Amino acid sequence: MSVESTAEKLLAGGRLSAEEALELYVSAPTSLLGRLADTIRARKHPTGLVTYIIDRNVNYTNVCVARCSFCAFYRPVGADDGYVLGFDELFQKIDETLAVGGVQLLLQGGHNPDLPLEWYEDLFGAVKARYPDFKLHALSPPELLHLSRLSQQPVPVVVDRLVRAGLDSVPGGGAEILVDRVRRLLHCDSKATADEWLSVMRVVHRAGLRSTATMMYGSVERLEERVEHLCRLRELQDETGGFTAFITWSYQPSNTELGGAEATGIDYLRTLALSRIVLDNFDNLQASWVTQGGKVGQLSLAFGANDMGSVMIEENVVRAAGAEYCMDEAEIVRNIEDAGFAAKRRNMVYDLLGDPLFRERAIPRRTELAIARQAGDATVPAELSRYPARSRPGKARRAVDS
Amino acid sequence: MSDDLTAVTAKIADGGALDERDWQTLTGTRDLIALGVAADDARRRRHADRVTFVQVFDVPVDTAAHAGTLPDQAGELRLTGRPVSVAAAVAAVRAVVARAGSVPVTGFALEDLQGLCGHELGRLGEVLIELREAGLALVTEAAADTLTDPEPVFEVLRTSGLTVARLTLGDAAGHAAFPLVRRVATWDGAGRVCRAFAPLRPAESSLPTTGYSDLRQVALARLLVDNIDSIQVDWSGDGHKLAQVALTFGADDVDAVPAVASDDLGWRRSPREDIRRNIVAAGFAAVRRNGCFEALDVCDRSEHA
Repeated sequence: MSVESTAEKLLAGGRLSAEEALELYVSAPTSLLGRLADTIRARKHPTGLVTYIIDRNVNYTNVCVARCSFCAFYRPVGADDGYVLGFDELFQKIDETLAVGGVQLLLQGGHNPDLPLEWYEDLFGAVKARYPDFKLHALSPPELLHLSRLSQQPVPVVVDRLVRAGLDSVPGGGAEILVDRVRRLLHCDSKATADEWLSVMRVVHRAGLRSTATMMYGSVERLEERVEHLCRLRELQDETGGFTAFITWSYQPSNTELGGAEATGIDYLRTLALSRIVLDNFDNLQASWVTQGGKVGQLSLAFGANDMGSVMIEENVVRAAGAEYCMDEAEIVRNIEDAGFAAKRRNMVYDLLGDPLFRERAIPRRTELAIARQAGDATVPAELSRYPARSRPGKARRAVDS
Repeated sequence: MSDDLTAVTAKIADGGALDERDWQTLTGTRDLIALGVAADDARRRRHADRVTFVQVFDVPVDTAAHAGTLPDQAGELRLTGRPVSVAAAVAAVRAVVARAGSVPVTGFALEDLQGLCGHELGRLGEVLIELREAGLALVTEAAADTLTDPEPVFEVLRTSGLTVARLTLGDAAGHAAFPLVRRVATWDGAGRVCRAFAPLRPAESSLPTTGYSDLRQVALARLLVDNIDSIQVDWSGDGHKLAQVALTFGADDVDAVPAVASDDLGWRRSPREDIRRNIVAAGFAAVRRNGCFEALDVCDRSEHA
């Protein structure tokens, strides 16, 4: 099938096969991909709104046993600069988030063998006790799988316990590329295979939670594997309808074991456009300004994105790999409006919350994102001593602390 | 694409004169991709699928006499900063030329040279000749917003035998820059003395522009500025990602690719490989040029060029 006939099929509302999608990606000029993606975005969002969320991206621990080769953030068990945030530190971050109009934490972290399921239950319960309306968008599928393995409880039981404790929704992190050949090369197949990632999401959706989905491209995958990733997400969305949004970003190579070079801006816009084209059952696509910068982040709105993602407030993982962009609410809104759209705040399930908050009340401008902890801060939260450690260094540390 | 925009871009392709309504259509459209497609068509008519780039090594004018090692990768040695006098400018050129071998030496902003000459055109002509005879290959840049009466200045440049590497918009940016782009398009003599038009202002100079406004400006520059051959983006100043995307919106030349890597991150992340990879990923053939806009070599499209 020619690019022209594939485009016609798409514009007529047809669904592309994997082969058609790959051919389109390989052969279509960037402008055509953008035009097709923009047409689909306009159909799904005819009112000319572009949304964003005010929330905070918090990483509760950087200690991780997964050791993915593309990750610059993790520290091995026992590392001097490994950390776990205390409950009080997290409460303070929530207070700061509420002060700028934030509505939730995006809470993810390493696979820390010294944080048992009970720690998460207690944390979520404590957050909900202090901030009943504040949302917890937390724990990607590999983290849930890690907790299942650590607690020796089935994933549905883990999810059920966390929901009872206060979990509201699940971020789509850890998907990378949902093809096991790629996952083996990235050394992330042990944290979750492609089937395991999708199975956990199925459990999450069946439990009544909504989630996002992601794709990290530009490492070692082939183009057809990007398409396979998108098609697998599309299949699960057909089955559950549980995904609220899709976010794609490029692998960030600095300070990683894998190394290499970052995919280009054109690669990003083409991949985003292809995602909008293939994921016909996803309502929302977010721009990844945190990896692409504000300018290409804004251009995402011409290549299929209808959402500028999160104000973030804090970011640790991408920064560790060399990208340090910052956009506060005013800057996000400026970019949305400059592109010809109306800006609206939203929550995780895309309910509109209102107009830009900085126009209603004074909010201090932010020129850089916060980090989890200042370098050199080796504080060990007091409450950790209440929980059994699994690792040898962790056990030794808890013995000293207690 | 709207019917109005289609009509205007067709008029441009046919060489027709634009009226006020056409101008409003071009600057007011929100259809960024349509504007990009029209600009890309215009750039391909001139340059086919070639994108040129130059690796530049900056030499501050006040330390030119004591400059350290000049890198092998440089295609242009560029004197930067404002010279304190004509004599200092000439001495700096001589000092760098003496060590440059076959690499062209460029330098100076035209308005700085005009300032040194008391804005007297006759004196400017003499100074340009003196700089050319000292070995200066091109004047680095001229800012359009400082050229209130440009044609006599262009004539002085032409008779001195020196050209300007790029015409910039100076401090004009965003919507304020559009009328200036339109004015530049009417400067008949510009093309004879300006090798490229750089429509984006370096990011550090003021409030940040947006991706939309930058690309709209690049596209409008290509569509309207028919009198200058190349539309240039700045690899270092505009940001790699924006500069790369701009290649699909009408730009055909990339300035300021570093001649030296800031860190030794290996071949795959060297400046030359980085720019080659980005140009090829945008769908073009990468051509390395020198500071005189002479092609040095065509980079291989394959990963291991």
